[in-house]
Amino acid sequence: MTPSIATENRQRGIAAKLCGSLAAGVLLLGSIAVTQGADVDEQAEHEFFETKIRPLLVSRCYACHSAETKPAGDLRVDDYNGLLRGGKSGPGVVPGDDKASLLLVRILEKNESKRMPQDGEPLTEEEIADLVRWVQAGAKWPASAEPVYEAEDLSDLYADLRSDHWAFQPLAAAAIPQVAQADWPRDDIDRFVLAGLEAAGLSPVADADRETLLRRVTFDLTGLPPTEAEIEAFLADSSENAFETVVDRLLASKEFGERWGRQWLDVARYGESTGPSRNIPYPHAWRYRNYVIESVNRDVPINRFIQEQIAGDLIADQSEGISNEERDRLLTATGFLALGVKDVNQRFKIRFEMDNIDEQIDAVTRGVLGLTVSCARCHDHKFDPIPTADYYALAGIFASTENAAGVRNKMGGSGLDYYNPESLIRLSIELPPPSEEEVRRLEEKVRETKAAWDAIRGTPEGLAKRPNGQPVQRRFRLAWEEAQAELLALTDPAARGAVVHGVREAAEIADTAIRYRGEAEKLGEVVPRGYLTAFEVPDAQPINRQQSGRLELAQWLTSDLNPLSPRVAANLIWQNLFGTGLVSTADNFGNSGASPSNPELLDFVAQRLIDGGWSRKTLIRQLVLSRTYRLSAVATEDHLRIDPANRLLGRHTPRRLTSDELRDAVLAVSGMLDRTPAEGTASSELRMVEMRDNGDEAKAVHAHSDASTRRSVYLPLVRGVTPRALECFDPAEQTLVTVKRDATTVPSQALFLLNSDFVKQQAQQLTQSILELPAADDVQRVQATYRRAFGRAASEQEVNLALSFIESFQSLYAQQAAANANETAAVGKGSAQSQEYQFVSTRANAESYKLAAWEAWHQSLLAAAEFRFIR
Amino acid sequence: MFSNHLISRREALRSSSAGFGMVALASLLAQNPSLRASEAKSDKPLAPKKPHHEPKAKRIIFVFMQGAIAQHDTFEYKPKLQQNDGKTGPIGGKLAASKFKFKQYGETGSWFSELLPNMAQHADKMCWLRGLHTDTPAHPQAVVQLHTGAANATLTRPSMGAWVLYGLGTENQDLPGYVTINPPANFGGAVNYGNAFLPAHFQGSRVDDKGYVPNLKPRLETQLQRSQIDYLQSLNRAFAERPDAPDAVEGIIESFELAFRMQGAVPEILDFKDEAESTIDAYGINNPATASFGRQCLMARRLSEAGVRFVEICQPGWDHHNNLHNGLIDRCGSIDQPVAALLADLEQRGMLDETLVLFGSEFGRQPTTQGEDGRDHNITGYPMFLVGAGVKPGYTHGQSDEYGVHAVEGRMHTNDLHATLLHLLGLNHEWLTYPYAGRDFRLTDVAGTVAQEILA
Repeated sequence: MTPSIATENRQRGIAAKLCGSLAAGVLLLGSIAVTQGADVDEQAEHEFFETKIRPLLVSRCYACHSAETKPAGDLRVDDYNGLLRGGKSGPGVVPGDDKASLLLVRILEKNESKRMPQDGEPLTEEEIADLVRWVQAGAKWPASAEPVYEAEDLSDLYADLRSDHWAFQPLAAAAIPQVAQADWPRDDIDRFVLAGLEAAGLSPVADADRETLLRRVTFDLTGLPPTEAEIEAFLADSSENAFETVVDRLLASKEFGERWGRQWLDVARYGESTGPSRNIPYPHAWRYRNYVIESVNRDVPINRFIQEQIAGDLIADQSEGISNEERDRLLTATGFLALGVKDVNQRFKIRFEMDNIDEQIDAVTRGVLGLTVSCARCHDHKFDPIPTADYYALAGIFASTENAAGVRNKMGGSGLDYYNPESLIRLSIELPPPSEEEVRRLEEKVRETKAAWDAIRGTPEGLAKRPNGQPVQRRFRLAWEEAQAELLALTDPAARGAVVHGVREAAEIADTAIRYRGEAEKLGEVVPRGYLTAFEVPDAQPINRQQSGRLELAQWLTSDLNPLSPRVAANLIWQNLFGTGLVSTADNFGNSGASPSNPELLDFVAQRLIDGGWSRKTLIRQLVLSRTYRLSAVATEDHLRIDPANRLLGRHTPRRLTSDELRDAVLAVSGMLDRTPAEGTASSELRMVEMRDNGDEAKAVHAHSDASTRRSVYLPLVRGVTPRALECFDPAEQTLVTVKRDATTVPSQALFLLNSDFVKQQAQQLTQSILELPAADDVQRVQATYRRAFGRAASEQEVNLALSFIESFQSLYAQQAAANANETAAVGKGSAQSQEYQFVSTRANAESYKLAAWEAWHQSLLAAAEFRFIR
Repeated sequence: MFSNHLISRREALRSSSAGFGMVALASLLAQNPSLRASEAKSDKPLAPKKPHHEPKAKRIIFVFMQGAIAQHDTFEYKPKLQQNDGKTGPIGGKLAASKFKFKQYGETGSWFSELLPNMAQHADKMCWLRGLHTDTPAHPQAVVQLHTGAANATLTRPSMGAWVLYGLGTENQDLPGYVTINPPANFGGAVNYGNAFLPAHFQGSRVDDKGYVPNLKPRLETQLQRSQIDYLQSLNRAFAERPDAPDAVEGIIESFELAFRMQGAVPEILDFKDEAESTIDAYGINNPATASFGRQCLMARRLSEAGVRFVEICQPGWDHHNNLHNGLIDRCGSIDQPVAALLADLEQRGMLDETLVLFGSEFGRQPTTQGEDGRDHNITGYPMFLVGAGVKPGYTHGQSDEYGVHAVEGRMHTNDLHATLLHLLGLNHEWLTYPYAGRDFRLTDVAGTVAQEILA
C-alpha cells in the first residue's frame, strides 16, 4: 500500500464509520421520553412496571423468552410488541384482560408439565397478583427506553444534491459534436467518442482485423467462440455489410439470450437456494432463469422486462383475455423478488420479513436505479438524498407484498420445517387431484407418528442410547418426517403441477413504520407508501391505495422520464461491450459513485435506448456497428500515456472471459457443447429441506454439473455449491447483486487448467475430433485447432513450434513409459509409489504416445492466456 | 470533461482497487518476507504489505470449537453456581452445577475442570477474554458473525482471514495465505472463509485434515508436465509481447509457475513424514480419539511455520442441548491433548513470539440446565482465550457475573474481538476498508474497540 493510499484509506475509514454509524454528527437526545407529558396515573403505572413487572420478567422469564436467549414457543417477553403479538399459542398479553392473557394462563396452569416457568420455582402469590394487577390496568409498558436518536439535519445537503447531482437531472440532449476527422465516424456515437479523443490530442487507433473482430463480437453477443465455418464465411464475405450480417445472425441466435440473460441473472443475484445460515433449495428457480433467457431472446423491452419482474402478477390481473401461458410467464417473472438470500433460521417473523424486504429493495434499487437505497434502512443516507422515510415508503410496498418463495422462518428447525408449500405461486399447469382416501390415510399416519414422537421426545426412554449410539427417539422423529414427506408428495402443489417462487399481494395492504436504527421491532412514524424523493419523475402515478403499489412502482421505475433507469440500463449494456461502463460504478450512480467519463454520450445512448422502445437488441446493434466498437486493442505510446485507463475509448480494451464463457468455450472447442436449453436443473430435483455443502444433495448437484455439457447458464446454481468448473474464474457471488464480474488471476486457476478432470477430458475430446478430421495432415490439424481455440490462423512459426512440441513430448513420454515399466518390474505392481505416479505407464504403444502428445498440446492451448482473452 | 483529467482521490483509489482484478500475481515470485508494501506495487495483491503500525503478531491460528463449548464445565469456574445447584438462576431456569471437578493450575491459579488436564498445563500462557458477548443465539448467524463480523445473512461480507490477507498479504508465496481446515459445511459454509466482495485472491483455501486440495495432484510426471508448461509459457510470453496484449498476461505466466511449485510445496507441508515420532505421539495422531484434531493441529503449526498468515482449524460437535456429560467427555478428549501439544510445540519452536492462537466458540452456554443433561446457548457472557504474540500471558480480561450469565466487566462484542485481533496484527480496524455498493466496508462494521488491557 503506498503512503498516499494509506492516507486515503484512513480518511475513507472515517467515512465508513460515518456511514451507518449514528455516533458521529448525530444528536443523542438520550432522555427517556417516559415522563414527558405523561399524566400522574401513567407515571405511576410505569413506575409499577419498572419496580415490579420488568424485574420479574427478567429474572423469571428471560432464560427462555428473550431476544438474547431462545424465545421458546416464539414468545418473547423482553419486547412489548413481542408480548402482545405472542407466540405460537396466541397473544401473551391482552391489555385489560388477564383471563385472555396467555402469560397469566400459563403461570396459573394446574398441570405442572405446562406451568410456567418450566424450570425453577413457581411464582409467589404476590408476584402473580402484581402481574394480574398490571394486565388489568392495561399492561402499560413505558415507551421505548432505548435512547432516542435524532438524525443529523441533512436537508441542506439533500436539497443541493437533488438540484445538482448529475444523475438526478433529466436526460440532456447534447448537440452532436463536430469532429475534425470527419470521415472516421460511422455513427453519432463515434462523433461523441472522437470529439473526446480530439480534445485530448488523440486519434482512434486502427480498426481490428477481421478475425479478432469476429471473435470479439461472437463472444460479446453469444458468450461463445465463432466456429470454423463462421470464420470462413466472414472472411469470404467481401460485401459492404458483411459485419452487419454477422451481427444480425448473432442477435437472432438463441445463444444471445443465454449470454445477455446471464448478465441480468448476475444483477438479479440469481441463486437456487436461500443461501447462508440454513441453505434451503429453491427447486423451481429455473423457471425464472428460463423466463429471463426467453425474454431477452424475444427482445422484451427493458422497461417492460423490469415491470414484469416487479409486478407481473398485477399486470396479468389487468390484462383482459390473457392466455394461461402468458399469465404463467408473468407470474414466473416475479421470481426476481423472491429468489434472494433468506435467513430462514431467523426466530422472529418480523425480522425475517424486514430482512427480506431490505434484500428486495437492494436488488431493485441497485439493479434498476443504480442507487444504494438500503443504506437508508437504519439512518438517512449519508451521501445521497434518501431519507429513511423514503426507504420505508418503499418498504411499505414490499411489506404489502407476500414473498412467496415457499419458505418460512424458524429457529433451529429441521426436515420440512422451513417449507411452506402454500406460499408458492401456482401456474396454470395442473394434474388431476389426488385420491381423497389416500390423503386421509396419510394424514392419519402423520397424526399417529407425530403423537408417538411427542410422547417419547426428551423422555429418559427416548434419550437412552441404542447400540449404534443414537438416541431411541430418533427413529420416531424420522418416522414422522417420513410420513410428512409421503403426504406432501401427494398433496404438494409443487408435485401437483407447476409452481414458481414469486410474489403476490399480501393479505394485508398497509403502509409501514420507520424502524429506529433499522431494528424491526422499534417502530417509529408510519409513512405512506411511495417513491424516492431524490429526483422527479414527472409522469409518476400515485400509489393505488387498494394494492401494494408495485404496479405503480414498476411504472415509476421505468418511466421514460425517470432520470436513472435508462442511464443505468444503457450503461450496463455499454459495460458489457466495452469492458467499463461510461459510469464505472454501474450499480452506484449516487454521489459516492463515479462520475460519467462522457456525460453527453451517456445521455445520448440512454435516449437512444428510450427512442428504440427500450429494445436491448436495437441498442446493442447500434453499439457494435459503431466504429468505436471495431477498434483494435493495439495502443500507441500516446494512448498509454494520455489515457492509460482507456476512458476515452481510443482503442478497444481486451477482456477476460467470464467463468461461464470460459467453460462454454472449452466445450465448444472440444465439440462437446450441448446447445439445447435445459428444463430444470439438478436442483429442481431437491426437496425444500436444509442442505449442507458436503451432504448427499450437494454431491448429487456437483455430479450433475461435472457431467453436464450444457451451457453454464443451465448448470444448477445452489448457493454455496458453485459448479467446480466455474468456481476458479470469479463466478458471480450468488448472494450479492453483481453488475461486473471480477477477473482475478489466482493459482487455483492454473491448477484447474493443468489438473482438473474437466479440462483433461475436454482436451481428450478435442484431440479425438481433430485427429479424426478427414484428409488432414498435421499442419492442417494444428491450423484447425488454432481456428477453433483462438479464432485465427497460426503463423508458420507457431505451427512449427506446435509440431516440435508434439514430437518431443511424444518421445519424452515414451522414455517415461519405459522407465515406469522398469520401475514397476523392480518395485512390484501395486506399490504405493507406482499407484501414485502411473500416468504414463497406462499407455502401451507408439499410437497412444502420440495421442498423449496431442492431448498435452491441446490442453496447453485451452490453458493459454490467449484462449481466455478476447481482444 | 473527462475523468482522466480531473481524477479525484476517490476515483484514484477506486481504479487502483479495481485494478487488482486485471493485474495479478507478479508478486507471487517475490519471496522476500521483509518486502514492504511501500516497495511493492499495488498490483501484487498477495505480497507482504506494510501494516498500519508495528505489529505484535505476524499470523494467527484460530482454533474454532463449533457449536459452543460449555464454559461452566471446562474453564469458567463459578463457586456460586456450584453452591446453588438446582435453585432458580438469575434470569430464571434451574441452575446446574458442573458435575466435573475443577482445580487450579499454574502460578496464576487458573481453574480448569478435569476435562482439560493437558490444556490446563498451559494456564500461565493464556490470556483470557471472559467478557465476550454477541448478537444472535443461533449457530448459523453467530458462526457467520464470528467469521465475518456481521450476522445479517442478506449481505455477505468478507471473512476475517480474507480481511487480514487483504491488509497484510502473506509471507510465503508458494502457499495460500489463508488456509481453513475442515470448515463447517453449514452455518454459512463457504461464507466463513469467503472473500465476498473482496477480490478472489483473498479467499481462504479449504483443506481437509487429510490434506486434500482440489486439482493439486499433477496428472503427469514432473518432467512431462514441466515440458508442457514450458511450451504453454512460450505461448503466453509470445502473447504478452503482442501490442494488444492485456496487462494480466504477466500475472497468468506467474500463476502457472506458482501452481507448479504449489504441487510440490503444499503436499510437503501437509505431509508429516519428516516429523519425529515423538511429535506425532504428542499431538495424539496415533490415537483414534485424537487423530483427526491432532492432524489439524500439527498441520496448523506447519502452515504457520511456513508463513501462512491465517490458519483456522475446526472441531464441531459442542452443541450439547442434551447428552452434555458424555458429550463433553468425548469432545474434550478429542481436543485436549492436540491443543496442548500445539501450544507446547509453538513455544518450543519460539513461534509464540510471532504467532497468536485464538481458541473458542461462536458463543457460550448457560449455567442453567436444559432438560436432564444439557445447557442452552448463552450470547451474553462467555470466554475465549489467546496465547502468544502480543498478549499478556497469564492474564484475565473481563468477567461474567457470579453465575456466568452476563459479561459484567471487560465486555467485548465480536466487533471488539476483531478490532483487537487486527490491532495485534498491526492493522487499524477503522482504516482497513474496502469500497462496495457505494460505501466503505470494514470487518468491524461501524463499531469495535481494541482491548488495550490485554496487550503485552
